[in-house]
Amino acid sequence: MLDMLSHSFHLLIFPGGLFALLLGLLLKGFDRKICARLQRRVGPPILQPFYDIIKLSQKETIIPDTANKAMFKFAPVFGFMGMMVAAMLIPVPGVWNGASGLGDMLMLLYLLPIPAIAFMLAGSASSSPYGAIGTSREMVLMFAYEIPLLVVLLTVALKAGGADGSEFSLAQVVAFQHENGSFGFNLSMLPAFIAFLCFIPGTMGVVPFDLPEAEPELLEGPLLEYSGPLLAMFNLMSALKLVVVMGLGVALFFPGTIPGGAVANLAWFIFKCFMLMLVSVTIVRTATGRLRTDQTFKFYLKYPSVLAYVSLGLTLLFK
Amino acid sequence: MSIIDAIKSKAVRSPWLYRINAGSCNGCDVELATTALIPRYDVERLGCKYCGSPKHADIVLITGPVTSMVKEKVLRVYEEIPDPKVTVAVGVCPISGGVFRGSYSVPIMLDDIIPVDVNVPGCPPRPQAILEGVAMALDIWKTRI
Amino acid sequence: MVLSIFKVLWNNLKQGPSTDPFPFGETFTPARLRGKVAVDPEACVGCGVCATVCAGNAIKHVERGDGSGKDFYVWHNTCTFCGLCQHYCPTDAIRLTNNWSTAHRNEDKYKMKEHEFVAYARCPQCDQAMPNMPHAMLDHIYGAPTEELEAIYKLCPECRRQKAAQQFGAQIHD
Repeated sequence: MLDMLSHSFHLLIFPGGLFALLLGLLLKGFDRKICARLQRRVGPPILQPFYDIIKLSQKETIIPDTANKAMFKFAPVFGFMGMMVAAMLIPVPGVWNGASGLGDMLMLLYLLPIPAIAFMLAGSASSSPYGAIGTSREMVLMFAYEIPLLVVLLTVALKAGGADGSEFSLAQVVAFQHENGSFGFNLSMLPAFIAFLCFIPGTMGVVPFDLPEAEPELLEGPLLEYSGPLLAMFNLMSALKLVVVMGLGVALFFPGTIPGGAVANLAWFIFKCFMLMLVSVTIVRTATGRLRTDQTFKFYLKYPSVLAYVSLGLTLLFK
Repeated sequence: MSIIDAIKSKAVRSPWLYRINAGSCNGCDVELATTALIPRYDVERLGCKYCGSPKHADIVLITGPVTSMVKEKVLRVYEEIPDPKVTVAVGVCPISGGVFRGSYSVPIMLDDIIPVDVNVPGCPPRPQAILEGVAMALDIWKTRI
Repeated sequence: MVLSIFKVLWNNLKQGPSTDPFPFGETFTPARLRGKVAVDPEACVGCGVCATVCAGNAIKHVERGDGSGKDFYVWHNTCTFCGLCQHYCPTDAIRLTNNWSTAHRNEDKYKMKEHEFVAYARCPQCDQAMPNMPHAMLDHIYGAPTEELEAIYKLCPECRRQKAAQQFGAQIHD
């Protein structure tokens, strides 16, 4: 019974649910503001993503006649729920060390593609040609960025397993790093960290790799036919995904804590998420243009995968 | 109750823009792109964002003299924009026909087929004038949400 | 090479936003910007060349029924700011101001116009109505006007012909 209560608290309030939603939307606001500043613009207010959600929830919903209506409505809910569950598994070092016995990295590996799958469902259910192209691109992109992610997770698991065996529980990975130093400062883990940085823009669908949404050519692809509250749900999903991916990055590479109790560590976690987003999302999307589908695929196979494998090899070598 | 109303009223600060080219020469479209892309004008300050899909739009900016070939398509795209919405006619062409008035292919003005709210005449209008028009459209959008 | 973009971004961040404060504050307007048309009815001779050359058909001259003058209309909603009227106007009566503020509600669509009344001049001798002849026009045609011109330029064509004939007759007499 108590277990049930604590799980629902973690799912709905902290670290999933409310906290992750607020943090994700805030991070998105900072992302837009800083992107504007890097382009010498004033930019929208920080709370702009909140305003967008409020506005979208008051708009009319239009469902195309030719769409598969049930699937059309189900896709955003599916993606949103998947990300809610994923956000619950993210440890906040020093405040909450992750659901032991529930969350491990393999679970996250299965949960992370859910937004991409939701996009695919949405794109194919909306019966729009743009959505169809977006769906096929999303698939290609997913295959491309899942490989480095898998290898990075494997490397971290082997490293955290100590001299023999491997450790897939995120809580254990964080605990291991608290004892033996963060992986981000470990030379043999550096290639894996860079691979993870390359993985983030792909999974977040931001500019160099925003193939499925590609606003100027595909008109936001799978989201094209969505309007009103359903679109708001997709926005919330991507906000949650931002927190999940950044939280995963923090947990895998920089789970260090600072003295000063839970509140200070919470702020420290938010700051680390923000810095990770700044490096891997904001600056990248401001400084680059979109790659073609084949270029993206080749990029992911060439650099992040190779870097991740190098890290894996080093880890196995010096075990 | 009043808190909910206060939160709801924040929707005013997020008007997404969508533009329809109804046979325009692209002059006005360039000026619209200017308001979005050039740091000097930066329409994102107002919370606006140019979106690719009519389904996401709140304020629709229409350029061009609604030629007889494009009329049906304009109506179709306009119908796809979810309510509440505000229409802004940009440039002299949709407002009066401009230099194309009286042509065999420009039989109507925009406000004959669509309820227009704000006009921004000019050939093309200055980016500041477009911003002025968007600000005016925001006042109307406030009363509709 | 590839990293020079980061230098650009860093400089952008350092220099701060270059955004005009416009809808909330002042903006700049170049002095020679072509904006809304303005008409000076005193200087207008009512020749109608502006209406002829107008690209957007924005200018309209309407004769008043009582013969007292012309109504001069400019509809801003079809003016393309091309400046042809200003270029061809013989007396610089019509000119483009740098007022670019044109946005308005659709209710005011047909109120967005300039309406001036160009009054006809009266011949001092026979009180016949005729198009106004401003001094500027005289300068434009003859350069510095002579005393003789000053004497006759306000007359109607009929009276002018009579006056010229009288002068001619007086010369023959001598």
